[in-house]
Amino acid sequence: MKHMIIAVLTTAFGFAGQASAADMVFTSWGGTTQDAQKQYWADPFTSTGSTNVTQDGPTDYGKLKAMVESNNVAWDVVDVEGDYAVQAGKAGLLEKLDFSVIDKTKLDPRFVTDYSVGSFYYSFVIGCNKNAVNACPKTWADLFDSKKFPGKRSFYKWSAPGVIEAALLADGVAANKLYPLDLDRAFKKLDTIKSDIVWWDNGAQSQQLLASAETPFGSFWNGRLTALAKTGVSVETSWTNNITAADALVVPKGTKNKDAAMKFIANATSNKAQADFAATTGYAPINVDSPKLMDAELRKSLPDVQADTQVNADMAYWAARRDEIGKRWYAWQAK
Amino acid sequence: MFLSATVIDRQRKTRRDGSFGYVVPALVLISLFFVVPVLMLLMRSVLEPVTGLQNYAELLGSTTYLRIFMNTFIVAGLVTAVSVSIGYPVAWLLAIMPERWSRLVLAIIILSMWTNLLARTYAWMVLLQRTGVVNKTLMSLGIIDQPLALVNNLVGVTIGMTYIMLPFVILPLIGVIKSIDPSVLRAAALCGANKRQSFVRVLFPLSLPGIAAGALMVFVMSLGYYVTPALLGGTSNMMLAELVAQFVQSLVDWGMGGAAALILLIVTLVLYAVQLKFFNPSRAR
Repeated sequence: MKHMIIAVLTTAFGFAGQASAADMVFTSWGGTTQDAQKQYWADPFTSTGSTNVTQDGPTDYGKLKAMVESNNVAWDVVDVEGDYAVQAGKAGLLEKLDFSVIDKTKLDPRFVTDYSVGSFYYSFVIGCNKNAVNACPKTWADLFDSKKFPGKRSFYKWSAPGVIEAALLADGVAANKLYPLDLDRAFKKLDTIKSDIVWWDNGAQSQQLLASAETPFGSFWNGRLTALAKTGVSVETSWTNNITAADALVVPKGTKNKDAAMKFIANATSNKAQADFAATTGYAPINVDSPKLMDAELRKSLPDVQADTQVNADMAYWAARRDEIGKRWYAWQAK
Repeated sequence: MFLSATVIDRQRKTRRDGSFGYVVPALVLISLFFVVPVLMLLMRSVLEPVTGLQNYAELLGSTTYLRIFMNTFIVAGLVTAVSVSIGYPVAWLLAIMPERWSRLVLAIIILSMWTNLLARTYAWMVLLQRTGVVNKTLMSLGIIDQPLALVNNLVGVTIGMTYIMLPFVILPLIGVIKSIDPSVLRAAALCGANKRQSFVRVLFPLSLPGIAAGALMVFVMSLGYYVTPALLGGTSNMMLAELVAQFVQSLVDWGMGGAAALILLIVTLVLYAVQLKFFNPSRAR
């Protein structure tokens, strides 16, 4: 009964039966990132094999759960946030990856679990529109200082690794003492600038806010700043204490194209596919052989060479407390 | 008098019986794609994560969530009030205009309804932001020194949603105003009423059913609105639909999402019933 009702629901949502037998579906977050994933991962894969890769999106954890529960899985490989991948693996929503197909010896071990491998990794950095202000904030402490840097600033709206870490670093917590997160302290720090925060909901909006100087500075995904700079906006990126998090590739449980999905992931995480993707997006490759294939000058703008003061968001910590922190985060925002 | 009332009643009844067959497709559609999922949601809200009413207790026991409920009604009320006050004169004008002109204006209003909602909302974002067209114009005219905060707050949500809701006030009102017999207004004038009096005492009361219908539609639609408040509002005036989206998509807590959705549905139905009782459009007519 439960399954039947969910089946009705999934049909109503309109994501049943989108792919035919020789097709598989790759789902990601849209925008310039998914364009690059299509160009460097999906299209080459389609041209080499018998499997045609169709794009869908944006990633939606509610939809993924509905698909798995109704055993009507229309997405074969999904790009998700790293902490979600760990949590969903534990919750039984994902297939175990087949590491006889995917060569994990070449992949950055920080981003490999039984159920997921890294997709790419990115940093939350401090971005600033140089034309709009006299001085740009260089550190998280600067960004949280509304006396020294008055005006609106922009942060990622959703509960995810990044903003809480930034608040604690701004408040003087040492980078190696961040975990377990002192949530009380983080929210207290966030309170001091709350009225000056404009939240960005998605990458495109973050670029719009910065380019128009609606918020002349803020915390952004580094790749979106790279893309914005290419359009002629004079963007300054501060890598001081850049906070890394990774997206992950996962396979929803019950997919009808499991073999194709594993091959797709093996291909997408290969040195060439990762290098090409990184060169276009400004996000770092998770294949350890990719940097050798890349232009040295270009690599300077990627998170993996900004390791000096880099802070790694603890995905395992977040996966275990995703719900708890999320509820508190949204309640605080709504206050 | 009694006789004629009975005859009308009987006619109404016949009409209702005769047309029942035609509503079956609509009923099937609604029960399959609305009633069944709502029941499912109800089940989830009392079954997840464990059987019981804990989701409802958590929602109604938390000041945060109660504030979001309040926000939802404040925004919906505000949007309704502004929509009616702006829409009423427009509807009146459209009702008395020469047909040729009113068609043109109506086409413009309806055309805006056919434009993609997301595109319209982003357009407002660009217009209203601190560095946007509205603020720049006002500042260059010397009307203001500092940019006004027109977006990411209640003002932005109200402007964006009113713009979307206006046609839903204007369209029913035109019909009602047009159906008012002009000889009633002439009679008022003959009895010595000036323009203001004939509006306040004759035209306005007669158009109340149209106002009630339009206002109710806008209020109920606003209660469940998602895209516009999410993009034009700040997090401190979050509405319920956004909370539901957080539960369903980000926290993947369908029990809480279902409970929040059902509370909204129940409150809406109660309000609808109250409004029908005190403002029955068919009775007023």
